[in-house]
Amino acid sequence: MQTENVQPILSVRNLNIWYGEKQVLTDISFEVQQRQVTAFIGPTNSGKSTLVRCINRLNDFTPTFRFTGDILFKGVVMGTASDTTALRKQVGMVFRKPMPFRCSIYENVAYGARISGINQSAHLDTVVEENLRRTGLWSEVEDILDETPEQLSVGQQQLLCIARALAVEPEILIFDEPCGELDPIETVKIENLVRELTNDCTLIFATNKRRQAARVSDVAGFLYAGELVEFGATEKIFTNPQDNRTEQYVTGRLG
Amino acid sequence: MICAERIQTFVLQRITFILLGIAGIPVWNVLQKADAADTEAASAVTPLNTLAPLLDDLYILLLISLFAILLGIVCAFYLQEWLPQTNWTRRFIESVVAVFDGIPSICYGILATGIFFSYAGTLKTLGGVHVPQRTEDGSALVPLVFEHDTVVFYIVVLTFILMVMPVTIKTTQAALGSVATPIREAAYALGASHWQVLRRQVIPLVFTRILAGGCRAMSGALATVALIIGIYTWQYTTDPGNMPNRFVLFLGSALFLSIFSSILIKLYASASANPTHLTR
Repeated sequence: MQTENVQPILSVRNLNIWYGEKQVLTDISFEVQQRQVTAFIGPTNSGKSTLVRCINRLNDFTPTFRFTGDILFKGVVMGTASDTTALRKQVGMVFRKPMPFRCSIYENVAYGARISGINQSAHLDTVVEENLRRTGLWSEVEDILDETPEQLSVGQQQLLCIARALAVEPEILIFDEPCGELDPIETVKIENLVRELTNDCTLIFATNKRRQAARVSDVAGFLYAGELVEFGATEKIFTNPQDNRTEQYVTGRLG
Repeated sequence: MICAERIQTFVLQRITFILLGIAGIPVWNVLQKADAADTEAASAVTPLNTLAPLLDDLYILLLISLFAILLGIVCAFYLQEWLPQTNWTRRFIESVVAVFDGIPSICYGILATGIFFSYAGTLKTLGGVHVPQRTEDGSALVPLVFEHDTVVFYIVVLTFILMVMPVTIKTTQAALGSVATPIREAAYALGASHWQVLRRQVIPLVFTRILAGGCRAMSGALATVALIIGIYTWQYTTDPGNMPNRFVLFLGSALFLSIFSSILIKLYASASANPTHLTR
């Protein structure tokens, strides 16, 4: 696996999460190493989204949300009082449904820079071009940068959202079922992109497609009914699972 | 819990209707007595049909309602964006707003007319109306001008605010609530602060709807004031002076604003805050 002496970029210790009275995650502990793809697999309602949304504190907006345990980002505890906007600039997120903003394609990608107070057009041009090139979308949208993203296909919209998230230069990028709405060809594009992105950042990937997790990830965790059943190298999870439930899930008999 | 809140609001509304109705009874008595003597006196006045004082009234009322609308919008933003749904202050204000929003404008009409007419016995004016008055020795009738007489004017203003604010708060809150959570989350996930999300995502999406809500509220209030003036004029003065013009002007503005607000809503419908059209 990975070298153990390197400090993990993210570690989660004894995390319990409740929505109101209902406990959705029970005693989750794991560590994420830098420049790796960590995938969380599991059936619907197993708590994958809740877990990954917890990492950039998007669950804070749910009024009934409550948690115990520690999440450490680069060794620092993300308490309730820490600066969430600064944190979210370092921990980006791409959602299941592409959600481009109602402004031009250019402004969508430039959003992160603009909210950080950068307004020089030369700098913004560079940011936009660079990030659209990284996602492979540049050649397709080069001539329509000033138009709205509504005319793009869903796959292109999702790539645009990834470009937008990358433009903030996050250290961790979370994908919450990014291919849930895409067709197979667009899915392949995203998966290839995910592999390429490991050069720049750490990726956390929640999906309910087992094969996809096997293709893209280095480390995988199997969540079942709010419990992290197994966590380890992807190869091991898929070829030699220790837990009976994991084996049943990866072979398609469960979930 | 929602069901209990609805019942609570419903009951509060009925109680308010009844109280307003009871308030109307003594008012009606005052009306009956007030005008027998005054109508004679009023007949001697020369009507001054200049447009200027009318526009002045309209201008002030529009200014007042703009103020009320702005206050309503600020209030709605605070309730919807800063207070959690479980906050008791928010729930209290929301139920009060629901009560005032549910009261038919005729009840406001009764309220305003009541107080207005009680003062009418002595003041007989809604700003700028020329009222005859006997001179001290009682020998001659000279017109006496009450320019926006304070008490009555404040009553109209209060009624206006009471009518405009709840509607504005409710429509603004509904508009803010209609902005899909994923859009906000997408912006938050990029590190945007609450203010930035409001300014860059939420307000552009809801602006038209809030404006339409404000226009609708203003239109309703203007129409009510127009009707009060109309009833007053036709029932209690033999020489109405500026009143018919005022009536037509207010009603005309109300009509214009309501048409304007429906155009805005049409515009809004074509640029919906619902993001589903962004996917195939």
